[in-house]
Amino acid sequence: MFLHRQMIFLYVTLAVSAGYLVTALSLGPPIAESGLTPAFFPTLVGGAAIVFCSILIVQALQAKPETAPADDARSYTHFWVVVAIFFYIVAFKPLGYFLSSGLFVFALILLFSNFEKLILKAIISAAIVGIAFVMFQQLFGVRLPTLWG
Amino acid sequence: MDFIFLVFSSLSLLADPLNLTYVILGFVIGTVFAAIPGLTATLAMALLLPLTYSLSVDTALMACASIYMAGMCGGSITATTINIPGAPSSMMTALDGYPMQQQGKGALALGHAALGSMFGGAVGALLLIAVAPFVAELSLLVKTTGKFSLLAFALIVVVIAQRGRIPQAGLAACIGLMLATVGLDAMEPITRFTYGYSSLTAGIDLMPVIIGTFAIAEVLMQSCTRTDISAATAAANKVKIRRRDFLPPLSDIRKIGFGCYFKSCLIGYFVGTLPGAGGSMGSFLAYTEAVRTSSEPETFGKGNPQGIAASESANNAVCGGAMVPMLTFGIPGDPITAIMLGVLVINGIQPGPQLMADQAGLIAPMLATLLFSAVVLIPLTLWLIGPYFIKIVSVRKDVLYAVIALLAVVGSYVATYSTFQMFMALGMGVLAFYLRRNGFPVITMLLGYILGPNLEEFLRRSLALSNGDPTTFFTNPDSLFFVILTLVFVYFLVIRKPAQKPAAIKTK
Repeated sequence: MFLHRQMIFLYVTLAVSAGYLVTALSLGPPIAESGLTPAFFPTLVGGAAIVFCSILIVQALQAKPETAPADDARSYTHFWVVVAIFFYIVAFKPLGYFLSSGLFVFALILLFSNFEKLILKAIISAAIVGIAFVMFQQLFGVRLPTLWG
Repeated sequence: MDFIFLVFSSLSLLADPLNLTYVILGFVIGTVFAAIPGLTATLAMALLLPLTYSLSVDTALMACASIYMAGMCGGSITATTINIPGAPSSMMTALDGYPMQQQGKGALALGHAALGSMFGGAVGALLLIAVAPFVAELSLLVKTTGKFSLLAFALIVVVIAQRGRIPQAGLAACIGLMLATVGLDAMEPITRFTYGYSSLTAGIDLMPVIIGTFAIAEVLMQSCTRTDISAATAAANKVKIRRRDFLPPLSDIRKIGFGCYFKSCLIGYFVGTLPGAGGSMGSFLAYTEAVRTSSEPETFGKGNPQGIAASESANNAVCGGAMVPMLTFGIPGDPITAIMLGVLVINGIQPGPQLMADQAGLIAPMLATLLFSAVVLIPLTLWLIGPYFIKIVSVRKDVLYAVIALLAVVGSYVATYSTFQMFMALGMGVLAFYLRRNGFPVITMLLGYILGPNLEEFLRRSLALSNGDPTTFFTNPDSLFFVILTLVFVYFLVIRKPAQKPAAIKTK
């Protein structure tokens, strides 16, 4: 009950809000003789975020166990999509657009489908990357990194 | 009057092959994205946002207007044919559209939806063209304190409009405001919340926020909630859709009545002017009103074309309404107008009271396109690709999401040619994904982020001008007006009990 998915999200948000508020307070006093300082607004926002977070945590704790949202069947596809995007960004400049994008699109097609017809999916990936390159570089004049400079 | 003339003369810009190509392309893309369950026209616009760098501002805005109009009517396609609204704004259309499809009148239902959309889009655009210059003139009267109260009003309304999840909306708005405070302070040379990263000194860019919130988050959402529409599309494919069946008979239109169309348009338009309300609320209220005033309320939900007409007229009229606060005050009414605002900001144009006065020539073609899309492109699209709609929405989802992810990530790179923006888009996508997954409305986060800098600046300026006296917000007439307006909305949306839903909606 204390550690289901939504509660974890709320605790993390509360921690981030508290960290934000502490940083805001470290900017100096919110009000000075000359008026409001750059610390005032963030202090206000951080305080409001903590209040909203607390309300939501109390509401979630007061909710009966059966009314609390039950974790549905675990699927980690979204996690792998995030990992794929992360490594794509890391590899984007060193590997160049074609290689990194080809691998990325192929990986995503596999994540959204299954491990069958791999050759067909590889061909589709190559076609998508080629069309996107023409669209970005030729049609809209965007310079994309390539291995040949 | 000059502005109205300028808008109509701007229709000539559509004779330019480049402009027309982008407008038509935008409309087709908007329709396809709105038609496919899980995708939205907002996503289409977010993906196309980076490409506006290479277009002239007026062409980009014209393309945005056509995507917006297409997005509002495209959702009715799957709402009618497979009972899965392609966009939330077409939720009410499914109530009567799908029963008509089951009765073998799917093409007629699509025809009614297109007619309603056409009427709603045209009336909304005309009202916008007629009203916006006056609102813009009035907005010039709003001074610093009034501007703060107006922005606070917009943010509060967006939060309280999320009935049943106000704390979630409040927290989302705070997260948006937190993001807005990152970087150099607007009034003093102090950096805030950069934690030593020089890339954050200029603040968090709008582009990764939009791409992350709408594109990357959508891909992540779809990766864990896959909608399998193959069975529904296979069933819908069996019903033959012929072009000649699209045209609603005059007797049907007479039965629906001009009053129903027009009233729904007005409802949609005024709902559109409220920040955060959007097409779904407009169509819901118009549908409710159609049921309430109908002599045969029991027929709603069983295939009554009046329900489709009311819902579609309203959600397309929202387009015109939502642009009023965006163009006159720089307050977006919904996610799509927020992205349009992004197009303006990216091109160095500051939306607000001066926009209509100084850049009317830039805004007029966009409004002309809105009207053109409603009157010409909605019926034309239905006629040309209507029979193939089902085939379009049956596109392979694995390929589709891979393409979206590629366009989103590469799109976030083109603004500054730096991978930092790509990481930022990924971070925003993950944040928006978890917000959505836990029932937080991301539109309030986006509005908090967009309105935050001005909200803070006007608050500090107002208090500086009044020597720190907070009663200035109640003693200045323009500010007092928005304070009272805020209280009125709080009363109607929070304190007063919500209206009862009609039986047809309850059962669904």
